Amino acid sequence: MRWTLLVVVAVLALVASVVLGPAAVPLPELLHSDIVWDLRAPRALLAFLVGGSLGVAGAGLQALVRNPLADPFLLGLSGGAGLGAVLAIALHLSGPWALPIAAFVGALAALGLVYRLGLIGGTGRGGALDPRILLLGGVAIGAFAAAITTAIVALADAAELRNAFLWLWGGLSGASWDSVLLVVLYVPIPLAVLLAASRPLDLLALGEESAGYLGADVEAVKRRVYLAASLLTAVAVAVSGVIGFVGLVVPHLVRITWGHRHRALLPAAFLGGGALLAFADTLARTVVAPRELPVGVVTALIGVPVFALLLRRWTIA
Amino acid sequence: MLRRLLFVVLVLASCRPSGRPAVGPPRRIVSLLPSFTEILFAIGAGDRVVGRTKWCDYPPAALAVPSVGEGLPPNVEAVAARHPDLVVLYNAGPNVTAAEQLERIGIRTVLIDLNRLEDLGPATRTLGRLTGFAARAESLAAFLDSLSHQPPPSSTTSTTLAFVVWDNPPIIIGHGSYLDELATAAGARNVFRDITAPSAQVSLETIAARNPQWIAVLSDSGMPSLPGFAKRREWRAVRAVRDGHFLMVPGSLFGRPGPRSGEAIRQLRALLAR
Repeated sequence: MRWTLLVVVAVLALVASVVLGPAAVPLPELLHSDIVWDLRAPRALLAFLVGGSLGVAGAGLQALVRNPLADPFLLGLSGGAGLGAVLAIALHLSGPWALPIAAFVGALAALGLVYRLGLIGGTGRGGALDPRILLLGGVAIGAFAAAITTAIVALADAAELRNAFLWLWGGLSGASWDSVLLVVLYVPIPLAVLLAASRPLDLLALGEESAGYLGADVEAVKRRVYLAASLLTAVAVAVSGVIGFVGLVVPHLVRITWGHRHRALLPAAFLGGGALLAFADTLARTVVAPRELPVGVVTALIGVPVFALLLRRWTIA
Repeated sequence: MLRRLLFVVLVLASCRPSGRPAVGPPRRIVSLLPSFTEILFAIGAGDRVVGRTKWCDYPPAALAVPSVGEGLPPNVEAVAARHPDLVVLYNAGPNVTAAEQLERIGIRTVLIDLNRLEDLGPATRTLGRLTGFAARAESLAAFLDSLSHQPPPSSTTSTTLAFVVWDNPPIIIGHGSYLDELATAAGARNVFRDITAPSAQVSLETIAARNPQWIAVLSDSGMPSLPGFAKRREWRAVRAVRDGHFLMVPGSLFGRPGPRSGEAIRQLRALLAR
């Protein structure tokens, strides 16, 4: 029943984001309109894929660091991506894909540094990954990258640099069939890695030691989950900038309904995250038309009250 | 180097002996907005300008004036180091604080509004009155006033355009902006006239649906003939992008209201007539 409901909500969110938009396209012409085919449909799909990826990445990271505050962007990736994007503009790298690629490379560099820090902080058994150090390292690397970014923007002459921040908080305006294809080809691998780690992630909730006794290869699982979740986040930031709250709130929302078993939790987080972002983007495009709201504003405005409501029902019940 | 040294010597030589109260028009002016620098040079007060922002690139003679860095907000110490007897600032939040700080150390300041075409005449008259070039300022101001008194183009016959200042997310120029006024004065209609803000984020599909004949982009001198987003697939849903109908207008001429606003209007009209 709850699965049917979730699938219906997800399909409705997708349909709504194709049917609704600031440009008036009459229903009979929907299938023949260039605006729908070239702009709305890829944007709806990209929103769904990015939202789903962030939901799954958030669920995986929260289990990994055993901290309910974990968000995919807490691990320094947004800072790294922002630095990459600003460097691309400052170095006058041109070409339609220069910014997304630079942001992706920046996110990967931050990922590598945080991962390295996480290993240093480990308990010494030859490269154990310490989740607490991952969190601290992520915040530190993110702040460091953001400081360099701000320094570049403050010192460089190019006026476009100020707009790099707009891009970073940009949302889904860059959606095209190219970016949808890229994400469709890219995300199945990290998603599959996370799904395959469902059982060990359940065990990890009992503590690393207990999980080890129960047969989980704890170190390998931690590494795989960290890398897969970060790679999902990196592609999300490359195609759509930093979209907050989806990766934080959606895993909690679905946990309230589906419990803590990751085999159900992760697919539900994908559908829920996708539905939330597709729906939020539809609102962002339509409520103040012809203007548009940054989609991160809408995800926060919807996500947080829904979360508070469910949390209340959940704690009372 | 030699020229700079000579300049410094000349500047030093022109300094008033200290301790005497300031009488008459100011002799050492720091201009903290490119538009003010242009106006000061245009009304004949250019040789009194002893400091400018790093964005003040016109007229070429202004480049010989030492830069005090960013104008908004200004580096108060760098401004004071030029020993000005008048500092002209753009009237905006951070500049108000800077003006107070300068006044506190005994430097006279004036905050002037300059956001739209119709602000140009009053700003020019103010600068003329302050510098003692009121007559030349008045004739320039009268010309600049005439620019903003053009009838709006009719919505059926005129060429349509959209100013795109950033591509992802798409940021366009609305009715509240100087660029919108330039387009109107050049006989074109900004398709985003209904947006009252100076600039706003819109959806790409809104741009596609409003279907402007031209996409106008402010460009730096070193920029290629087409903006980077012209090659992006999602932008090709906009007909003007598909057809390559871009107006690449130089930012130093179009990006600010000033004595050359008439020239900007003339250039835009010529581009639209192609």
